[in-house]
Amino acid sequence: MTTNLECLPPVSGGEFEYSYKAEITNVYPLTRMEKLYQIQLVDPMERERFIFRPGQFVMLELPGIGEAPFSITSSPVRHGDLELCIRAVGNMTMFLDRVGRGTRVGISGPFGTHFPVERMEGEDVLLIAGGLGIAPLRSPILSVLETRSRYGQVDIIYGARRPSELLFDYEYAMWRQFDVGLDIIVDREEPGWQGPVGLITEILKERIAKGQSDRFRERTSAIVCGPPVMFRFVCDLLIAAQVPVEKIFVSLERRMHCGRGKCCRCNIGSTYTCLDGPVFDYWSVLNLKEAI
Amino acid sequence: MLFKVFAASELSRLFEILSVNRIVGPVKKGEDQHGRSLYDFDVVHDIAELHLDYGQTIHSAKNYFLPYRENLCTFTFQDEGSGDGGDWHKEVDYGVYAPLVLFGLHPCDINALNKLDKVLLGGRYPNPFYGEKRANMFIVGHSCSPQPFCFCKSMGTDSAIRGFDLFLTRMDDLYFAEILSPRAFHLLEQIDCHDPDSREHHRYMDLMEAKEALYVAHVDTSDLTKILDLEFQASVWQEWGQKCLSCGTCAQVCPTCYCYGVEEQVDMDFTRAHKEKRLYSCNLLDFAAVAGGHNFRPESHTRLKYRYYHKHRGFVEAFEESLCVGCGRCGQSCLAHITVPEVIASVRASKEEHDDD
Amino acid sequence: MTTNKTFLGVPVARPKVAFFELSSCEGCQLQLLNNEATLLDFLSLVEVVRFREGMKEASDDYEIAFVEGSITRRDEEERLRVIREQAKVVVALGSCACFGGVNQLKNRFNDLEWVKKEVYGSFPIETQKVKPLSAVIKVDLEIYGCPIKKEEVERIVTALVLGEQIHHPQYPVCMECKARENICLFDLGEPCLGPVTRAGCDAWCPSNRLGCWGCRGPAPEANLSQLQIIMAERGISQERMIDRLECFGGFAAFVAEVKEKKGEPK
Ligand code: SF4
Ligand code: SF4
Ligand code: SF4
Ligand code: SF4
Repeated sequence: MTTNLECLPPVSGGEFEYSYKAEITNVYPLTRMEKLYQIQLVDPMERERFIFRPGQFVMLELPGIGEAPFSITSSPVRHGDLELCIRAVGNMTMFLDRVGRGTRVGISGPFGTHFPVERMEGEDVLLIAGGLGIAPLRSPILSVLETRSRYGQVDIIYGARRPSELLFDYEYAMWRQFDVGLDIIVDREEPGWQGPVGLITEILKERIAKGQSDRFRERTSAIVCGPPVMFRFVCDLLIAAQVPVEKIFVSLERRMHCGRGKCCRCNIGSTYTCLDGPVFDYWSVLNLKEAI
Repeated sequence: MLFKVFAASELSRLFEILSVNRIVGPVKKGEDQHGRSLYDFDVVHDIAELHLDYGQTIHSAKNYFLPYRENLCTFTFQDEGSGDGGDWHKEVDYGVYAPLVLFGLHPCDINALNKLDKVLLGGRYPNPFYGEKRANMFIVGHSCSPQPFCFCKSMGTDSAIRGFDLFLTRMDDLYFAEILSPRAFHLLEQIDCHDPDSREHHRYMDLMEAKEALYVAHVDTSDLTKILDLEFQASVWQEWGQKCLSCGTCAQVCPTCYCYGVEEQVDMDFTRAHKEKRLYSCNLLDFAAVAGGHNFRPESHTRLKYRYYHKHRGFVEAFEESLCVGCGRCGQSCLAHITVPEVIASVRASKEEHDDD
Repeated sequence: MTTNKTFLGVPVARPKVAFFELSSCEGCQLQLLNNEATLLDFLSLVEVVRFREGMKEASDDYEIAFVEGSITRRDEEERLRVIREQAKVVVALGSCACFGGVNQLKNRFNDLEWVKKEVYGSFPIETQKVKPLSAVIKVDLEIYGCPIKKEEVERIVTALVLGEQIHHPQYPVCMECKARENICLFDLGEPCLGPVTRAGCDAWCPSNRLGCWGCRGPAPEANLSQLQIIMAERGISQERMIDRLECFGGFAAFVAEVKEKKGEPK
């Protein structure tokens, strides 16, 4: 027996710092603040095997600059051909704003919980977004549209501050072709705007007034994405309309450094937004202190 | 569990056999202004440096399993300037090349490792930086004498039943050894020891009983998760928050605080970049600030409260045990005298206040 | 000389930088020359067009101006305004430039004429209340420390060149002090401003068993009322505490407040 304790071989967990090498294949400016980044995993095998669900997020790394979580805004059928809609607000995203096509970045994930669109089949679906919330919402929207016949009535309600801040406006006509109700409202008018002006809750109230309470109670699911203040008001209306709390899903944003439930930064009470979220049903949200 | 007994004089032999490896143990760092000894964990080369009679160290041994700073990866850039963006290479090194002997950990610190194992090695993404260090660790535990600020008894961490190789209890001129691993078993084969007889069993049990009486500090943990929830808005949090310096000392000295932040740094010649992990603390101002500037916990009391919530409510919910081992270090180091027993007692008392209304 | 450097495909310019000194010991600039190993890298990152400590020629064509020292004379105010006109980015380099530094200590004497006589005799010299740069011009970036830390400047300049946002630590020195596993100065009966001072120096002083003097100024959430309690509990007099807080000028507002409470003139 040797008392020189042997150094043991590496333990499992080698994927922890693993990131896929990916390339920015296209960048489209959407508004003054946001851009749509098309990012493709470089290795074709990895690209094919990259499977995610709507609502999940990836960590995007700019080597030497930083790493941050972004929800995937493209449809899951596109696998590792990802689209991320990113607003330039922090250090990392401002640098990203300057890089062009062909830049190689790191992608890890997918992480987190997802919107259970498969469980919503056969039901009416309300997809509600405020502001940048349309980024995480676009993935379930596309998912639902791709299998449109499996759902009952589908309504999209989207509110932005001004018409010039509306994201993905080039796609609305396409969405409408799938027999969905699409209502868009802005807080502040701008020249040329013909749609309604006001709060997103007003549109929602109208939609609720048109619906039947037994349908809300028995066969409606809702997905809500947006700033925390918005959840409250929107979810309260939905609850008042008798949509069950466990069938209302929201996506919560927190600071994250690891995405793997190890750094604590996204913790709300006992809950890691990166593992138990970002998607929560509203029942869980009610159980979280300081969540909204 | 296997037990052995050996003469205290044999300890130096044991140390010597282990000393072909790097050994870290409690050493004396100096004295405070009242002449009291101050201890911390450090590399020991000679058994004379090892102060196994230490009351408590100022810092935990976390620098050896959760370093305050740790390189997560290094990027090397190629073909920068070629115009098409260039490429980069990412290299990850867990930095463990040799095993480490932790000599003289008290039960609280061994239990701290057991708790960290649950969160850092469990789940979908085990952390290999921690895992590598844990796998290459040989732990020799040592009995303690409860200090006035220790409340491990309340946290159920006053004795270690797993998470070590060897645990030594000093009984005057003897050591009573608990053996948990074959490595420890073979180690003891090389020194002069014997199976304990019933008299030695009883001596050990008497000693454990005597230890009970030494506890001064206590925390009432019954129904604590619920009370913390119910008292989320209690005014005592604000009172503690007024004292708190948002300095992070409590987390830095704590054997179980594992939160971290990541920083990346490009070399001045743009050929390489480093990604570094730094232990962080939920008490620090920007702990819950997100890109764009919103801070989810801008006031010091909400951050302080959060530390207690994570340790005494959240972790309990997830793992059915608290993330605090009652070592008392945070309270000892806190310049504002914010101690776990007092904070929890005050939250519980605010319940009684309402009862009076 | 222009190099076509890129980082992640983004073109990175090599900015022209100039160093200036007002009333100071020029110690901060000396720090930058300190480590020859990285000096070359530093010079490949920026083009230094003016640096009194290290070169003879001086140009007035620059984008980033590092200004060391505090303002003690009217002509310095003028010089500073000219620098502001020229530079895209003005960086206050070191505690003198950020808060007034040790120079501002003389502000605590109410009669500046008396100070002048005591220090300079009848030698004709103009002196006014010592001011930090920000009292005269808009400062884009502050680099704290007396002296500054070379590694930190290098990190900040790299970030500036890359066009990144500059972040200073939001926590106090204690956080770094604990990471170095120092014995707390308060345990040794010594005062320390670590609990309220902005980190970034890697707990330079406490790691050398000296209490922090607050050279980096207050942390964004400095709990000064608790600091007073901490000092009082340990029998450290208020005078001693104020001496320390006054040393570099970062805590001037708080010191004024305490003095006012005590009924002392500011
Ligand atoms: S509780 Fe004490 S040690 Fe912890 S951050 Fe507050 S003042 Fe610092
Ligand atoms: S919270 Fe305090 S008492 Fe509990 S384990 Fe951490 S340092 Fe020890
Ligand atoms: S020595 Fe100063 S900086 Fe270090 S922990 Fe003590 S008070 Fe904080
Ligand atoms: S410890 Fe305090 S005085 Fe010393 S360098 Fe750091 S901030 Fe300055």
